[in-house]
Amino acid sequence: MAGKIIVFLIRLGVAVVFLYAGVLKIWDFHRGHSATPDFNLAIQHFKLSLPPDLTLLIAVYLPWLELTAAITLFVRRLALGAATAAAGMTTVFLIALASAWHRGLDISCGCFGKDEVSTNYPTLLTRDALLLAAALVLVVAEARRSGRRSAAPNP
Amino acid sequence: MIRALRQLAVVLGLALLPALVSGAIQLQWNAATPESRDEVTLATVHNWGNHVLWVDARTRSKYDKAHIPGAILLNEDEWNSLVSAFLDAWDPNVPVVVYCDGGSCDASHAVTERLRTELKIEKVHVLKGGWEVWPGK
Repeated sequence: MAGKIIVFLIRLGVAVVFLYAGVLKIWDFHRGHSATPDFNLAIQHFKLSLPPDLTLLIAVYLPWLELTAAITLFVRRLALGAATAAAGMTTVFLIALASAWHRGLDISCGCFGKDEVSTNYPTLLTRDALLLAAALVLVVAEARRSGRRSAAPNP
Repeated sequence: MIRALRQLAVVLGLALLPALVSGAIQLQWNAATPESRDEVTLATVHNWGNHVLWVDARTRSKYDKAHIPGAILLNEDEWNSLVSAFLDAWDPNVPVVVYCDGGSCDASHAVTERLRTELKIEKVHVLKGGWEVWPGK
């Protein structure tokens, strides 16, 4: 019972983070317009040598993927896929941040829309590492639940 | 494993639909707001691969507080003392994009005009919306 509550709280926490991050990357509430150009630029600041068209596609698609993953974490039949997507996205964020830190880039991460200050890499890497751990807990929990459901005898 | 991948594919697909709608709406919106002859939007600069020389036409105090990474300070107040640093950084093959505070500021247009008339630089533009549209400021 306690385990289920812990998993639910982790699920809720991961969903809230992804929902918040996704919404702020889609719409700039402060200025009342789309946040896509800002996120597109934030991606380009990472200097990952991606073609401009690809960064634009990522800037349009990724926030919606974050939103979809956040919502489907609560859909029983899709929760395993949503947790896998959350873990995958967080891994990519971690790699991008670590790479930017390694190259000495002084940028804002764009993780939650427009950031007011430059990226504090140790803080962000710690936060993303915790988020990844939480997402992996959900992957394991959902995989076990799916396994139990398939193993259960049909009535 | 297969179940996870199957569900992942569904989640990726579900996200695709609103992303496509959002992308299409934003493309239409961009097409409906053309740039003037002098002005370029941030999206246009992105399309140039951000390969531009940024010129900050605001005051030194604002520049010192924060500016677009790599931007050169060049304002009308300190034109004579700053113009040599600008020329050192200038590359004729790289477009120059000048910005000021944003909104109704005129400094970027004034600096752009001087770059054109006094230094005969042709590839010079004003950032539409100025510093206000720069993310992460």
